[in-house]
Amino acid sequence: MSTDASASSILDVSHLTVRIDGQLLLSDVSLSVTRGTMHAIVGPNGAGKSTLVNAVLGQIRFDGRILAHWRRNGRIGYVPQSFAVDRTLPVTVADFLALTRQTRPVCFGVGRGAARRIGAMLDRVGLSGFEQRQLSVLSGGELRRVLLAHALDPLPELLILDEPATGLDRTASQWLEDVLLAARDRDDVTVLMVSHDHERVKRHGDRVTVLDTRVVADGAPADTLA
Amino acid sequence: MTSFYAWVTGLAHSGILPADFQYPFLVRGFLCVLLLTPMLGGLSHLVVARRMAFFSAALGQAALTGVSLGLLIGEPLNSPYAGMFGFCLLATLGMVYVKRRSSLPPDTLIGVFLALSLGLGLVLLVAVTRQFNVHQVEAILFGSLLTVTDSDLLLLLAVGVVVMVLLAREYNHLLLDSLSPTLAGVEGADSRFLDYFFAFLLALSIVVSLKIIGALLVEALVVVPAAASRNLARSARGYLVWSVAVAFVAGAGGLIVSNRFLVPTGAAVVLGASLAFFVTLVAGAIGRNAGGAAGGRRATGTAIVLIGLVLLANRMLIGAPLVAAGAYFFKFGWPTSSR
Repeated sequence: MSTDASASSILDVSHLTVRIDGQLLLSDVSLSVTRGTMHAIVGPNGAGKSTLVNAVLGQIRFDGRILAHWRRNGRIGYVPQSFAVDRTLPVTVADFLALTRQTRPVCFGVGRGAARRIGAMLDRVGLSGFEQRQLSVLSGGELRRVLLAHALDPLPELLILDEPATGLDRTASQWLEDVLLAARDRDDVTVLMVSHDHERVKRHGDRVTVLDTRVVADGAPADTLA
Repeated sequence: MTSFYAWVTGLAHSGILPADFQYPFLVRGFLCVLLLTPMLGGLSHLVVARRMAFFSAALGQAALTGVSLGLLIGEPLNSPYAGMFGFCLLATLGMVYVKRRSSLPPDTLIGVFLALSLGLGLVLLVAVTRQFNVHQVEAILFGSLLTVTDSDLLLLLAVGVVVMVLLAREYNHLLLDSLSPTLAGVEGADSRFLDYFFAFLLALSIVVSLKIIGALLVEALVVVPAAASRNLARSARGYLVWSVAVAFVAGAGGLIVSNRFLVPTGAAVVLGASLAFFVTLVAGAIGRNAGGAAGGRRATGTAIVLIGLVLLANRMLIGAPLVAAGAYFFKFGWPTSSR
């Protein structure tokens, strides 16, 4: 991914094409994500939404160009669609969150500074006191909150979420919506979100790209998802 | 080293240490265990987390082939390290490279490499036994204390320090990459580098452990301590501590059994580790049935106290701190560093 700090968009994707094992997953996709907005990617199953996210994250090879325009820390926060935790791996929530928040190996314990920071992170996502719980015993919703806590600290410039409301009940979905809106409106975080929930995207999204291997439509939610 | 051995022998003669320690080769073996267990125990829980148990087995076989190659090109029987390390490194690079580029499941690919190196090893072994006594080669297969020299000990110390320092440096990235390669990538970890890096550390550790544990059994000491630890541990720290503790108890116990009953050291050590696995399996089950964390703590504390008492009964002073640690654990659990 290239970088350039001058533009009002935070991410420009130009003529992105992805082929894996000879199969065309994305074809000539171009889109622009404006800084400080909530940009949704929608489309049917197999449309290439997660492939687009993986390309932006630099996890797969692609043809075309992805240009990021960082102004602050250039950090990308990411909440994956699935996080298959090995059920028998004894890693606590504090261990997991400390992995990227202390230089000391986590197997020597979580340091006091990291522990304080982790406590505040968990407070923010409504999971106070979950530090010593093992990741493997968390429910899908709790695990998603832990991943969101991880993505939001330190505050990212671009937050990417792959179908974040999957498996959440109505209360948890509402809570997630509030957190994302606060991140965008209060903290100036740009949100790029893969979603199936068209109603929610219509309510809060600033821009929508409809994918089906290629870009089918791109514009304001009211026009695009009508 | 001679004065050190004389001092330890003196302690054994005066009854402070078990009588076994009057032999310098056993003192050397015990020092090997002291160096090996933190290294292999530290690696083992990551081996299991990264699903590389079968990979370790393949490396053990590759080491055997490497030994045969080394002997055929004229290396001394007592230290064929160039052949061993050279072939292990080649096998490591090959396995990781093919694994990253093939769509076949990793265990299938490793199975192919294992068959290849075992077949090659057996062919070369036949050629080797035309030049050397088969019993001399047997020591490499099953491990032997008698062949360990002070130079081996120094090599083990140097490699152990290097492996542990490098492992500590990349530990957090390795564990995150085991949990989610994508998240690790977003956080700046290079998954390809970590794959090669960890496989390299594993190959290095297996090569230096071979003389005491043996080519056929070294894989067990890389996997079983972590498997036993998983039955009891409830955090990353617990996972490491239990892995090292099980490796140490199995190593020290296996050494004594090997000396007293004249059985191969590697086999005795691996049997000790396997026994520890079943003890921790029962302790873990009792703990869960007795009420979660508190029950597990009591079962674990009791197990440590019992192991300590057995060691004390054999005049091994290491049993005393184990009894104290077990009693503390029974009462209070882990001293927590966080919050």
